Amino acid sequence: MKKQKVIILGNEQLDKQDSAAIHELQEGLHHIDQFPVYSPDLSWFEQRVAAEKQQIRKKLIRDLALFLIIAFIILTGIIVSLFQMPVLFIFLQLVTTIFIVLYTSVSLLKKVSNG
Amino acid sequence: MDALIKNAKEGDHLAFAMLFKENYPFLVKYLMKITMNPDTAEELAQETMAKCIQKFHLYNGQSKFSTWLVSIATNTYIDQCRKKMREKNWQVQEEVYRKLKWSFESRNEEWNDALEALARLPEDVRIPIILKHYYGYSYEEIGDWMKISPGTVKSRVHNGIKSIRRELKVSEETESHHTGQRTTR
Repeated sequence: MKKQKVIILGNEQLDKQDSAAIHELQEGLHHIDQFPVYSPDLSWFEQRVAAEKQQIRKKLIRDLALFLIIAFIILTGIIVSLFQMPVLFIFLQLVTTIFIVLYTSVSLLKKVSNG
Repeated sequence: MDALIKNAKEGDHLAFAMLFKENYPFLVKYLMKITMNPDTAEELAQETMAKCIQKFHLYNGQSKFSTWLVSIATNTYIDQCRKKMREKNWQVQEEVYRKLKWSFESRNEEWNDALEALARLPEDVRIPIILKHYYGYSYEEIGDWMKISPGTVKSRVHNGIKSIRRELKVSEETESHHTGQRTTR
């Protein structure tokens, strides 16, 4: 019983010390909140928003173009191989299927062993 | 504020600008606390703004806009720290907070020992302490933003406070030792 009391007192003292440290910390951080921060005018923010949105649009167009070009190249390759070199076409189909099956089973196995 | 958010979602640049202008000082001050560097805070505030514009469609309005800003700013700072670590471009922490300390002194504000101890902590401990004990966010929210479990946040906060307490004790002891010396002379 006595032992328990000592532990409780010890914890209380620790809590007190913790809250004293936290209080001092909050006081210090509160001083940072008193710092004057220069906030640019509204037009500066508007310009930034417009510039960022334009950049997002440019990136979207670039990514879409890249996607379409790559898709076009892959599809052309597949169609050409289908009509000109059917053996290569079948080989590619087989390799792709085996790769997908292997990749999926390896990642599933990894997930099972981690989780 | 709700009307501003609604208009911003519809693509109104002015509404966006007003939202950011309103929250800019809060954001810079938050970043100043976690980075301990006024210059980095301003840089990161602008980077955070850019990310907010990119991700604004993900903001669902369930939390306050300032809370959402805090989550994005925290992530941006953590990413920057990782990048700097990879580039081995890491400044000594003491160099980083010297400017903030100097700003305190020039404004005749007291730079207390707790701040000194906080500045010396690594950022992955400093951030949860500030978010928990200054802004009052929950362990779950902090864990969510920092991509760690609430339990890890709790233990980092606990250990961080313990090390601050230790430093405060040390500085108190040194101070009392000095005063003791002075009184004996």
